[in-house]
Amino acid sequence: MSAEAHTAEHHEGTRFYWVIGAVLAVVTILEVAITFAPWPHWIIVAILLILSFMKGAAVVMYYMHLKGDFRVLQLVFIVPMLLATVMLLMFLLLFSTHVGIAG
Amino acid sequence: MADVSHSGHTSHIANPNIGSLGVDSRKLGVWAFIGSETLFFASLITTYLVLAPVNAARADFQDPKQFLDIELTTLLAAILLASSLTMVLALAAVRRGDMRLFRVWLMSTIGLGFCFLGGQVYEFQHLYHEGVTLSSSLFGTTFFVLTGFHGTHVLIGAIWLLAVFLKVRKYPDSPENVLDVELGGLYWHFVDLVWVAIFTLIYLI
Repeated sequence: MSAEAHTAEHHEGTRFYWVIGAVLAVVTILEVAITFAPWPHWIIVAILLILSFMKGAAVVMYYMHLKGDFRVLQLVFIVPMLLATVMLLMFLLLFSTHVGIAG
Repeated sequence: MADVSHSGHTSHIANPNIGSLGVDSRKLGVWAFIGSETLFFASLITTYLVLAPVNAARADFQDPKQFLDIELTTLLAAILLASSLTMVLALAAVRRGDMRLFRVWLMSTIGLGFCFLGGQVYEFQHLYHEGVTLSSSLFGTTFFVLTGFHGTHVLIGAIWLLAVFLKVRKYPDSPENVLDVELGGLYWHFVDLVWVAIFTLIYLI
């Protein structure tokens, strides 16, 4: 690869990281703005969860380079993440009508 | 010596750290560690959320919405996201051998990490003066344990990156430099990832 081509590839790569950074910043501002919207609480919660998932996915795929990395590395991260999500949802479901626990 | 390619994957033939899965065992170890940390923080977040209605029903109830400062934590979220950007730029710089930019971006990452910690200390101090302590209510207990553990992880990450910075400065020609920066960076991005979750689930919702 020529020096010019290598430099062009490098600028292309770092520009992409800047674009991802800008998107993450915009989404964060959007998240905060949404909390002031006069919408039903469940809609706000749903939008916040979707935006937060998008931010997390962008960090993992592009900054941590998990996208396109070895399958075993994806597995080692995604399986605990799924377990964690299921655990969180199950506990919230279990205790959603049980205020007395530890109280 | 290890032959590290542009993508960060290490040559199987030259590197004794490549296991039967074809992955560098050090990188696999860090990802496995991150996987276990995911469950650790998920348990702390779950505890906070499960005990939130219990906190509301108790005599010593403290309302999180009354005490938590969204403006400050938005700034902290921006600082950590910016540090993730500088971290990935540092990795890109060391991969192409641009040591001047590598030093600039890595030191920026470490500096932003300490800015985050300063902001968190300010927040904790502010809450303490407002009467929210580790033992004042269930909110205080679960909030300080969760965010305190996260802050500790940021501190460890900053120390890790500082060690990588010093090592690369002392051995600029070491073929292990790219992987060292990549592994420290993975941990750093993970603490940013945890803050993305904490920011939404604890502060915004």
